[in-house]
Amino acid sequence: MIENQLDEVKLSVPSKPEYVGVVRLTLSAIASRIGFDVEKIEDMKVAVAEACTNAIMHGCRCAKDSKFNIDFVSNGEKLTISVYDDGKGCELESIQDPNLNEPKEGGLGIFIIKSLMDQVDIESEEGKGMMIKMIKYLGDDI
Amino acid sequence: MSLQVKKSYNSENKYWYVELSGEVDVYTAGQLKDAFTNMIEDKKENIKINAQDLEYIDSTGLGILIGTLKRLKEKDKNIILTNIRSNVKKLLNITGLDKIFIIEE
Repeated sequence: MIENQLDEVKLSVPSKPEYVGVVRLTLSAIASRIGFDVEKIEDMKVAVAEACTNAIMHGCRCAKDSKFNIDFVSNGEKLTISVYDDGKGCELESIQDPNLNEPKEGGLGIFIIKSLMDQVDIESEEGKGMMIKMIKYLGDDI
Repeated sequence: MSLQVKKSYNSENKYWYVELSGEVDVYTAGQLKDAFTNMIEDKKENIKINAQDLEYIDSTGLGILIGTLKRLKEKDKNIILTNIRSNVKKLLNITGLDKIFIIEE
């Protein structure tokens, strides 16, 4: 059996809101290149934008030229997207699912990512920033 | 990657009519927030949003809709969404917000 080749694209993006759209367009192009259908691309666009928004809002804003990173890795059957910053991180326990009886303006992002992607891992360590790693499979939803 | 907000007030039936086109994300969300804030300060009435040309929205945009609805609810007013695209509808479904806003087909 021939092992699937890993294709990797890495982005380093300024922590500025106007660049989230650029990341979305890049994701669309990569996912479409791999062969994802329109619906899955739409799901991933939202999930990636949520992760970028998270990195910009909660990541390191101390330095004037701060950046965050996005890695896209595909092996022919899935696309793995990692969004990470060198911000201050957060306590993962403080992330709650939204409460519909008391809707809040914020806090939907992580919930949306988990709903739209097939697999999501969030790593955060205080002082070391946050990494959101998410996977979408090319085949039928699992 | 831009957002257009076209608003008008229907004085006969007392509601705001808003046409959104483009994308609402962390970059354009401020523009949407300002538009809603101005409308509510002018007249706190129902806001009917035609989302036919709204191609994309994420949690920052949804957050603004929630915040606006909270202010409208003080006067028992609502946000009504019409002509929503399937990708936007999916997001409203998974967040449960389709039960909070009024969705018209």
